[in-house]
Amino acid sequence: MDKQEILKRLTNAIIDGDEEQAVTSAKDAVNLKMDPMEAMDNGLSKGMDIVGERFGKGEAFLPELLMAAQAFNAAMEILNPEIEAQKKEISKLGTVLIGTVKGDVHSIGKNIVATVLETSGYEVVDIGVDNPTLGIIQQAEKAKVDVIALSSLMTTTMPSQREVIETLKEMNLREKYKVIVGGGPVSQAWANEIGADGYGKTAIDAVEILKGLIG
Amino acid sequence: MGMLDYLDIYQRALQGPIMSERDFDVKVFIPNLKQIVNCYQIRYDEDDLVPSDDQAADRLFEAGVDFLAQVGVYCQDTNRVIQFTREEILTALKEAPGRCLAGEGKDTGVFSMRRPDDRKLPWFHVGSGIVASSDEIATNLIEAYGAIASADSISISAFDNIRGIPVMAGSPVELDAALHSIQIGREARMRVGRPGLPIMNVISTAASAVTTIAASAPQFGLRPSDGWLCGTIAEMKVDFGVMNKVAYLLNWGGNIGAETSPILGGYCGGPEGTAVVSTAYIIMGLLVHRGNYQLTFPVHFRYGCSTSKDVLWAVSTSCQATSRNVPMPVIWLGYVAGGPNTKMFFYESAAYLLCAVTSGAPSVQTPHPAKAVKVDGITPIEAKFGVEMGAAAAKLDRDQASEIVAKLVELYVPRLETAPTGSIYQQCFDVITGKPSDEYLLLYDEVVEELAGMDIPFE
Repeated sequence: MDKQEILKRLTNAIIDGDEEQAVTSAKDAVNLKMDPMEAMDNGLSKGMDIVGERFGKGEAFLPELLMAAQAFNAAMEILNPEIEAQKKEISKLGTVLIGTVKGDVHSIGKNIVATVLETSGYEVVDIGVDNPTLGIIQQAEKAKVDVIALSSLMTTTMPSQREVIETLKEMNLREKYKVIVGGGPVSQAWANEIGADGYGKTAIDAVEILKGLIG
Repeated sequence: MGMLDYLDIYQRALQGPIMSERDFDVKVFIPNLKQIVNCYQIRYDEDDLVPSDDQAADRLFEAGVDFLAQVGVYCQDTNRVIQFTREEILTALKEAPGRCLAGEGKDTGVFSMRRPDDRKLPWFHVGSGIVASSDEIATNLIEAYGAIASADSISISAFDNIRGIPVMAGSPVELDAALHSIQIGREARMRVGRPGLPIMNVISTAASAVTTIAASAPQFGLRPSDGWLCGTIAEMKVDFGVMNKVAYLLNWGGNIGAETSPILGGYCGGPEGTAVVSTAYIIMGLLVHRGNYQLTFPVHFRYGCSTSKDVLWAVSTSCQATSRNVPMPVIWLGYVAGGPNTKMFFYESAAYLLCAVTSGAPSVQTPHPAKAVKVDGITPIEAKFGVEMGAAAAKLDRDQASEIVAKLVELYVPRLETAPTGSIYQQCFDVITGKPSDEYLLLYDEVVEELAGMDIPFE
């Protein structure tokens, strides 16, 4: 099997969300002594781009995205030791802490954004749902993130997004983080009112906003 | 052996297989759903949004039963899966009463089943919990809902603040706001001479169990014969908060409303998976929530509404599957992208109600404008339309509905992404008199005439 064939198989494994095939093809790449970065960039990431594009167009949904991410991560477990052996580093665009605010247990929107960000090259720290304000800030400090992304699906939990921003100010930490907000009832007007740095209507928007905020 | 009782469910939440929530989503929910969709050959047809195939409806029901038996329900507090056998599921269906008694005195009603193509009127659940900014607006809305003669039950508004303090979920102010909205609802119902009209959305905007328990104190005016909502966490998850509410309401004797909202594009994937999960949810409502009735509102993850073509198909098919096979009175609720005082609201609402009513929905709730997220973004005109349109839809069969829906979606689907959110109450109603503006009435008459021209048989 030649290099082109392996790259094609890696791409297709991601598109199909086929973890087993992704691992097998990654092993083939290692056995053929391919550059692991090339296997990642021109094989796996190419597949992720295609899935991401389909997702953006509404032709693929969360399951396809998750299965693709799962296959990607499984293949990377094979490629990572090779990358480290070459003393190379995978560049990350930035680290994002994402969570749903206090009192809100809705997770799907947040999970979609987390998956899209992860597959777009950001390191994501997902702290789940129903997070108290101080907990969000403490976890952001601990994980040394660049961005705090706050999700809220209920009108009655939106005030907690404001509370996070106000508490960051109280703790003299506001300048340290970019804060972006999202969720069903959240709007650009609300983001402006509470002083958030960005608002995304969709997961794809979130990627575009982050490009503008942290590159 | 009889139907599982509540303690059996709790015990399974303590003893079922343990796994992380992510593993449940990715390794159990998604692959099993994919396999069930393929195995039962569930196929989306965008050209027939209200199919008339009873065999396909029954196949979808079987798929829903198998899916629930294979996947179970995840308990977030114990990280365990509550599992059921197929036999236990079928026993629960066999023993379900298929009716719910709601309301008090002369306003009591029996909320019962309908079949696809049924000419019987659905139970009309009128109004919404959409946030109101003032007592006056909330009162006007509830009085107007009560004045609709064919309203069988109502939803009451929530409030976004108490004395200027924003209402935050789980806080003491949320509890105050919930109690205040109930008192407003009680007074408004009395004023229109329907004090026993059941409120079926308690306490929709207050998520905590403590608020449910507080609101059941007799001095606040709610009764066991109202409808007490107990939510599900998407997808197929519960926590002790929900289970605590259920435990209390079972002991207290309140009507439990199992609340679900399958999300197309989320873990359900496309329309086929959403239809299977939507069906499984109605069965789950009987087993886990011990529901006397169910409130369900499938929505699209991207548009936040129920009126995209794929969601409409999932509504029609899962409504047919359950109205033919699951004795559970379900309120089918549509979230609509267009807001009050826009033609788009009426086109979308008509499409949703045609799908649900002709597919055998036991009840329909009057559709919610502007995705239900706009403060004061609702008026009684949308409720009036919901009831009139629902009654008209009950005169049609699925084939007729499918033809009309095909024309309606052409009018609004291209604009779903950028739907106009319309007016707020104060812009198209007089807050003092509670009367609509001439402009809105004119728009209403114009749209109804246009829809009547599409062969919708309004009274």
